[in-house]
Amino acid sequence: MLDRLDRGRLRLAGLGLVLATGLVLVAGAVAGPRAAACGDVVLNENSWVGSTANVYVLKNVLETKLKCKVKVLNITEGQPAFQAMADGKIDVVLEDWQNLPGTPYEKAKSVVSLGTNGITGVIGWYIPAYLVKQYPAMKTWRGIKGKESVFKSPESGSQGMFLGGDPSYVQKDRALIKGLGLDLKHVVAGAEPAQVARWTQLYKQKKPVLFYWYDPQYLNAQYQVVQVQLPKRTASCKDDEKKGGDAKQYACAYPSYRLDKLVSKEFLASGSPALKVIRAFRWTSRDQNFVANLISGKKQSKDKAAAAWVNANGKTVNGWVK
Amino acid sequence: MSGVAAEPATIAAPTLSHRPWWRGKPVQVALVVAGMWLAYRALRLEYPWPSELAWNSLQFKLDEFQVWLIEQRSAEDKSIVFALFDGFRVFVDNLVIWLEDALFWLTWPGATALGTLVVLRFGGRRAAAITLTAFATFALTGLWEASMQTLALMLAAVSLSLLVGIPLGIAVGRSRTVARILTPVLDAAQIVPAFAYLMPVVILFSVGPAAAVVATMVYAIPPSVRITALGLRGVPLNTVEAAVSLGSTTRQTLTKVQLPLARRMLLLGVNQTILFALSMVVIAGLIGGGGLGAVVNSGLSSTPALALLAGLVIVVMAIALDRSTEAIAERTDPARHHLDADGRRRARLASLGVVATVAVVVAAARLLGVSRVYPETAGVQERAVTAQEWLLARIQSVLDYIQDPTSWVFSITEPIGIFILQQLLLPLQQFLVEAPWFTTLAGLTLVALVVSGIRPAVTTFVMLGAIGVTGVWALAMDTLSQVLVATLIAVVIGIGLGIAASESATVSKGLRPVNDVLQTLPQLVYIIPFIYLMPVSIVPGIVAGVLYAFPVVVRLVERGLDDVAPQSVEAAGAFGATRRQVLAKVKIPLAGDAIMLGVNQGIIMVLAVVVIGGLVGSGGLGYEVAQGLVRGYFGQGVIASFAILALGITLDRVTQGTRKARKEGLG
Repeated sequence: MLDRLDRGRLRLAGLGLVLATGLVLVAGAVAGPRAAACGDVVLNENSWVGSTANVYVLKNVLETKLKCKVKVLNITEGQPAFQAMADGKIDVVLEDWQNLPGTPYEKAKSVVSLGTNGITGVIGWYIPAYLVKQYPAMKTWRGIKGKESVFKSPESGSQGMFLGGDPSYVQKDRALIKGLGLDLKHVVAGAEPAQVARWTQLYKQKKPVLFYWYDPQYLNAQYQVVQVQLPKRTASCKDDEKKGGDAKQYACAYPSYRLDKLVSKEFLASGSPALKVIRAFRWTSRDQNFVANLISGKKQSKDKAAAAWVNANGKTVNGWVK
Repeated sequence: MSGVAAEPATIAAPTLSHRPWWRGKPVQVALVVAGMWLAYRALRLEYPWPSELAWNSLQFKLDEFQVWLIEQRSAEDKSIVFALFDGFRVFVDNLVIWLEDALFWLTWPGATALGTLVVLRFGGRRAAAITLTAFATFALTGLWEASMQTLALMLAAVSLSLLVGIPLGIAVGRSRTVARILTPVLDAAQIVPAFAYLMPVVILFSVGPAAAVVATMVYAIPPSVRITALGLRGVPLNTVEAAVSLGSTTRQTLTKVQLPLARRMLLLGVNQTILFALSMVVIAGLIGGGGLGAVVNSGLSSTPALALLAGLVIVVMAIALDRSTEAIAERTDPARHHLDADGRRRARLASLGVVATVAVVVAAARLLGVSRVYPETAGVQERAVTAQEWLLARIQSVLDYIQDPTSWVFSITEPIGIFILQQLLLPLQQFLVEAPWFTTLAGLTLVALVVSGIRPAVTTFVMLGAIGVTGVWALAMDTLSQVLVATLIAVVIGIGLGIAASESATVSKGLRPVNDVLQTLPQLVYIIPFIYLMPVSIVPGIVAGVLYAFPVVVRLVERGLDDVAPQSVEAAGAFGATRRQVLAKVKIPLAGDAIMLGVNQGIIMVLAVVVIGGLVGSGGLGYEVAQGLVRGYFGQGVIASFAILALGITLDRVTQGTRKARKEGLG
């Protein structure tokens, strides 16, 4: 149905198309070279800022000193991340709060601990420093007993409010409250950013608040908070309230946590030069908070914040790389 | 749910009720509730669900199941089932990676040219302008790479969802048996929170694009099935009969009559599939979806402004995908455009022109060494050439204002939050949680009996009983109190706005972007700032539920009212009915099916964000589910999820039952 002229035009267009496609393919072949002396390393970044600080500092070191190709994934912590390591999708996790022990992944040795990253994790009950000035006795749990109504909130009625932690963190506060016989109501605040919203809002108004919190955490540099002393730990102390049993057994402080570096079985066997650096990687909660504060407080980009710390701490970094 | 399976509404003349007012349903319900209230006052907290009636080892059995699954997965000689899963995983992983590589290979000017020109060719100028704006947004926010990753993931997830959903929808629309079998499965897929099945998905598909696509598909397939089925069933019976009597085969009837006539509904199905899929971007980010979802997740606690920005980019992408698919479908509608030979030739030339232009742009970009992502220089300096820093500073200043407890906004919002909590939510919660279990169980069953009849009552009894037996009675009653409030508000707003939108084109136009934003903006990025304004538990979770649920109600109600046959409306007009009468006596009864589907979807949507509620302070079942995923309490997560599902089924059957009961009462 087409007349000759149009047919010719179409053919011309078709020819042009073929030529253009060829041109594109040639251009594609001249793509840039890929440098990968140390190979690929996949790090997993978790949802808390401290983990971001670990990951981006190590990323900087591996990229600049060893010329590795580092990829950062954001798989949710705990079991999903472990399964990803077992499948060889993640090589390294830099901060595990003792979630690995007891899982099938530990038993199958598909995820292996390389020991501490140098930081000790602390979990506990915290109150603002201004409150301690007002009620010095509240530094320990005994000082709170009888004074629970100070922590009254809209949802706790006549009782005091205890603000619970992120669902993904280890908790035994309900059992602790019961075991210590405190007149507190455990209120779940939700995920960490939601809990932070609750207590910082009260802090800014200089109101009393008692909450589940931990260290290292960069907010501890912005807000003056004090840990409440709980009864000393004993041999029969229990920590996982899901296991049930008598509440009295839980009435003791949280243990301190060694924060472990984990690598996958596959990565461990690969003999990557990065492995040496990861074994040696070790820093302090002050270092971590410094980087975390640059990212979260000062709103710097993650790479930039990590570079700033690496440049200022050549000695430590050289210790990892040598 | 059963709304889909029901026959088109038959209209009966409203009859006068012969029952005296004191025997009416509201009075009966009030009497039952009063009885429950008295029992609550007298025996409060004395009868929690007895532990003898709870199956406590269920949780550990489920935990053992997960361990078994993990061990099977890593076993040396895998079973054929795992081989199949592996095959699917490799296919989807490669599909997404291929799409991603293709988008990067095109370079950023090339990708923009391809997207914009293809939409221009098939969808027209307006849609092309929206597409171009979207690409500009990806570039200017400095989130180009993440956007392309998410775009690739969503293209794969949406097309696979439609590939499965539309045929299933046709099957459901044509066969009542299929409908009866599939309806509960669809309910479960939409209500069971993704957090509960993320871990099994990760075990079966590992992390990465395939796992992300599977999790997205579970949630995005049901709306395409439901709406396709509804559309097919909405085709007038006499048209189908005419086609059959003229000798059409079943296949011909389907492809030449039913599907073309259901085109509008099919399009709504595509649109909802896109929006549902994009609402999963953040959850998919938890298991390796990467892209914008990962930016949101990692930004939530460290850089909320960035999380919010990435959330807004997800919305822009959703709107662009939605508008361009819609425009393409409209313009290529064969019923509207009969091209003559000349037109066809011109169209073909235009297509060639598009291909050639894109090829030239790509070739030029690659030869000039334009980078695969925008901005050009990667690394530390990258933000200089985008508006990201400026945008983040603006968003941050808004957030700073919101987080300031001395602002006048806070002095208004905080007391409102406290009032709603103390006067409404806490009393209802305490009533349901603390009343003796047997009076609550009996009372709610009686209410179901009074409102909708014997079958829904049996369902209610069985479902609530199952909740008790699995040991989550108190948590479920807590969640029920919140779901009731959120659903009620969402349905009231949804039906009201839906009617307004169908009566006024301006309202309809204005509501559309609002709906898109609320359906696809990740809830956490706006609910967490909201907590600063209303620092009380429960309220933020209810706000999240209402905001997520009412847009769907609006859309379905509006579409249902618009689809009422014009001759019925004209006939009523000819009899001198006023606009209000036409609405109340003709349109709403005739659109009954679509409106009830709207109510039903409203309930489902509220339940779908119960977990989000758990993450912002609502506690209850949502918190348990979220905890189950990360802490490895698989059993806890599954049990809590099934309790959410049981609540959903109960609410659905009772609300659907009222319709049936009403019909019987009328007929």
